[in-house]
Amino acid sequence: MDLEKRKYIIYTFCFATFFLFMTRLSYLQLFNKEELSRESDKNSIKTITVTPPRGLMYDRNGKVLVDNKPSYSVTITPSQFDYNNLNEVSEILEMPPDKLEENLKSFKGTNKFNPAKIKRDVDFKVISRIAENRERLAGVDYQTEAIRYYPNEFNGSHAFGYASEISKKSLEKQIGDYYKQGDVVGSSGIEATYENYLRGVKGYEFITVDVKGRELGRLNDGKNDIPPVNGSDLILGMDKDLQEYAEKLMGDKRGAIIAVDPRTGEILCFVSKPDFDLSLFSGKTDTKIFSSLVNDPEKPLFNRVIQTKYPPGSTWKMMMSLAALDVGEITTTSTINCPGSFTYGNRSFADHGSYGNINVIRALEVSANTFYYKLGLQIGIDNYHKYGKLFGFGSKTGIDIPNETSGLLPSREYLDKRYGANKWTQGLLVSLGIGQGELGVSPVQMVAYTAAISMNGLYCQPHFVSKIINNANGVDEEVKFEQRRIDMPQKYYDAVRKGMFLVVNGGGTAQGIKSADFSLCGKTGTAQNSSGKNHSWFVGYAPYEDPRIAICVLGENEGWGASFGAPTAGALMLRYLGGEKYETDGIIKTVGDSQD
Amino acid sequence: MKRNFFERIDLLLLIVTIAVIISGLLAIFSATYTSGTDYFSKQLSFSIIGIILMIIISYIPPGIIAKSSYIFYLISLVMLVLVLIIGKKISGSKSWFSMGGFGIQPSEFAKIATILALANFLSQSEDGFRNVNKLKDFIKACALVVIPVILIMRQPDMGTSLVFLSLILPVLFWVGLSPYVLFIIITPVLVVLGAFFGMSYFIAAVIIIGIVLLLFKRNIFVALGILVINIVIGYSFDSLYHKLQPYQQNRINALFDPTTDPLGSGYNVIQSKVAIGSGGLFGKGFLQGTQTQLKFIPEQWTDFIFCMIGEEFGFVGSVFILLLYMIIIFQLVNNAYLTKNRFLSIACIGFSSIILFHLVINVGMTIGIMPVIGIPLPMMSYGLSSLLSFLVMMGIGMSAYRYRNQY
Repeated sequence: MDLEKRKYIIYTFCFATFFLFMTRLSYLQLFNKEELSRESDKNSIKTITVTPPRGLMYDRNGKVLVDNKPSYSVTITPSQFDYNNLNEVSEILEMPPDKLEENLKSFKGTNKFNPAKIKRDVDFKVISRIAENRERLAGVDYQTEAIRYYPNEFNGSHAFGYASEISKKSLEKQIGDYYKQGDVVGSSGIEATYENYLRGVKGYEFITVDVKGRELGRLNDGKNDIPPVNGSDLILGMDKDLQEYAEKLMGDKRGAIIAVDPRTGEILCFVSKPDFDLSLFSGKTDTKIFSSLVNDPEKPLFNRVIQTKYPPGSTWKMMMSLAALDVGEITTTSTINCPGSFTYGNRSFADHGSYGNINVIRALEVSANTFYYKLGLQIGIDNYHKYGKLFGFGSKTGIDIPNETSGLLPSREYLDKRYGANKWTQGLLVSLGIGQGELGVSPVQMVAYTAAISMNGLYCQPHFVSKIINNANGVDEEVKFEQRRIDMPQKYYDAVRKGMFLVVNGGGTAQGIKSADFSLCGKTGTAQNSSGKNHSWFVGYAPYEDPRIAICVLGENEGWGASFGAPTAGALMLRYLGGEKYETDGIIKTVGDSQD
Repeated sequence: MKRNFFERIDLLLLIVTIAVIISGLLAIFSATYTSGTDYFSKQLSFSIIGIILMIIISYIPPGIIAKSSYIFYLISLVMLVLVLIIGKKISGSKSWFSMGGFGIQPSEFAKIATILALANFLSQSEDGFRNVNKLKDFIKACALVVIPVILIMRQPDMGTSLVFLSLILPVLFWVGLSPYVLFIIITPVLVVLGAFFGMSYFIAAVIIIGIVLLLFKRNIFVALGILVINIVIGYSFDSLYHKLQPYQQNRINALFDPTTDPLGSGYNVIQSKVAIGSGGLFGKGFLQGTQTQLKFIPEQWTDFIFCMIGEEFGFVGSVFILLLYMIIIFQLVNNAYLTKNRFLSIACIGFSSIILFHLVINVGMTIGIMPVIGIPLPMMSYGLSSLLSFLVMMGIGMSAYRYRNQY
């Protein structure tokens, strides 16, 4: 068979195909046109998206922290809307006509047969007026949806975060096409991290519509609808009562409180003040309110628990003690002479008092600066960095909300870069030894570190969510977080924990918060601040024998650790361990006059 | 000089290709101008890039392409392996690389590479094509196609796998596979289809095969043996089908009868039939289609683009589009016949069979006579990888005309 013959066989085959398709097309388009046109006019199906309510958040005892409530949005379907009604609708919505028109225009380019959300979270009165005039106001309708509702007396703003209408930018950047204009998306805090669990899965309703888009009824009585899957609920480690009390104690001061269960890393309370009312974001988000929050000089949107980078002050001394013990520069019984001050080169470094020859336990108890000036020099920058890193400094703790800072933990590399190789002196280590200078830590790093010490080296990744309740299949999912062991001889931890015990229960800087019922432990600290009053730190845990809470309190410009940090932390630890009867009126009184 | 220009450029193929692309752009515009995503501009810019690329490629001498064909083939195999490891999963298959804002589908480029490698292999003979009636060369040729198919099935992408398989028979037929062998290869497909539709169809298929085998007047025992093998295949398919889970059976049923699954894949077919049918003789007019504009047909800018044509331009528009494709296919086959370069000749047959297969499956699906297999309408469906790969094929097809007198 030659090529020409083969060519014609192929031609014939193609012709046959072409002929078959022509026949079929003429059957559909010429002979069945009437029937199929009628079909096309009447039996068309429109898909309506049903957004499920977001999952709820519960505290460790099953109390609701974040809830939902119904809210009404007014929608306009552009293809049906009669612009002659513009003024009337604008009056009902209390929205100037030009604003309404502009709003409608912003939906240009989206499907004009789909209802566009014009105004969210409107009053019920508006809805009833629309319902009364439905006949006349073609295309104007409303939708009911669930929005966030916060049933408690406190804010929890930085922990829970807000869920708000998705921005144009995020819409364009999303992977896939799940989100549509007008959808709500978790934008900060837990709402953002657990977005994929909380949002659920959208459902679809099929509605028969005519050629003009008028609805005729449910397709197949709704049997083909795909129901939405409700969002999963989250069980947090948070204690509602403790959170409420913590926010009350913080009042209108600036600062942060975080407490965790040292055995698991579950966060018991999480406060960053000043904060804001989350319900401002749940309905229509007024851009004015948002920009006023952004521009507020007190920075209420700034999450002080995970984003601050202050020097830890004397709360750093446990770190130094453990590092020095582990590298062998000191033992648990060896002593260092601590006269009233320390001179390095031609510079003199101050101390709170003169303590004579003291060991590491005593040094912690009285917060002897000289002891740690010397340790800073003795262990050197490399060990300083190594042990800092070991206790989670200079890196993110991995807390399950976004935008955590890793802080600043100086290393040889860092100092070389900052000052030039070998251009810096060992003198920097003197200040670094007492947790001052170029060292930046966040309260969440501090609480994880304190918890690890209280647990003899068990470092738990701090986290909010302990369990995810899948409402679709009823299966609970435990959330796994990292735990690691910081390996050191037990007696080192014992010495440091003893020192922290004596800070409160001996002659230490926080003896004012000593309690007869629970053995509180801790350490005060003061972050030097060149541009204003010092920042007050306190880290602690309790009970001494069997820790169940570890806490970190930071008061911005509140002065000494003992003035604000210690009494606040003390009150909260007692409240958590002892219950309601330990609750006070919420006014923090400075304990003692210890200057550290 | 001027005469020389027209003698060397395949003007017909060029013009018709551009006409298809413009029709596709109009349809994409109509399907998406209310959707909020600008598919039109993206497709337009890639069309322009693609057409320039096509013209450049039509100038490349065949020797260069033939020499590099095995290298292209190896690269595309590596890419197909890579996509299984680091590819992005879109609607259930891992067939995309994500690069910036664009997705790249290596299987599209593997199509070209496979055809070129196959053409190179079959044209490497002292005189004429390789003899594929010899078992060794036949198997080697098939292996060249089957290797990428195995990788693509792992994604899994049924439609594209079938596209690859569809080019084997036409190409082998072109280089001289005897019609008898060709027929034997097709018989199991006929039998399985018959068995699927029922006992009487199965018996009819077996009888027809028997008669045709007799007409070839070859060895009667071989013919009988083939018949027996086919009956066994038909029966085992039947029992295999009954061993499947009901939902798996439903899926197969829905391929052939969309009404069994009216809201799954069947939904699209029913809606697209309604859309095309309601277009009538002249259609509802550009941008006036109610079915497509109301978004009853999901993703009509990709696999269901032919609906737009059917609804808005009617029977006249649909037949016009089919004619354009027929011209492309006929011209490619004619170039394959005219050219003295055996490599380009085989490549042209490969391209034309791929285009025909896409056309038959895609248009057949929208008019309800083919199963729903998601493959694009060549050069019309939205999709950048697919557009570029077809235009590269057209470029090589045009070069067959330019170099028709070169061995």
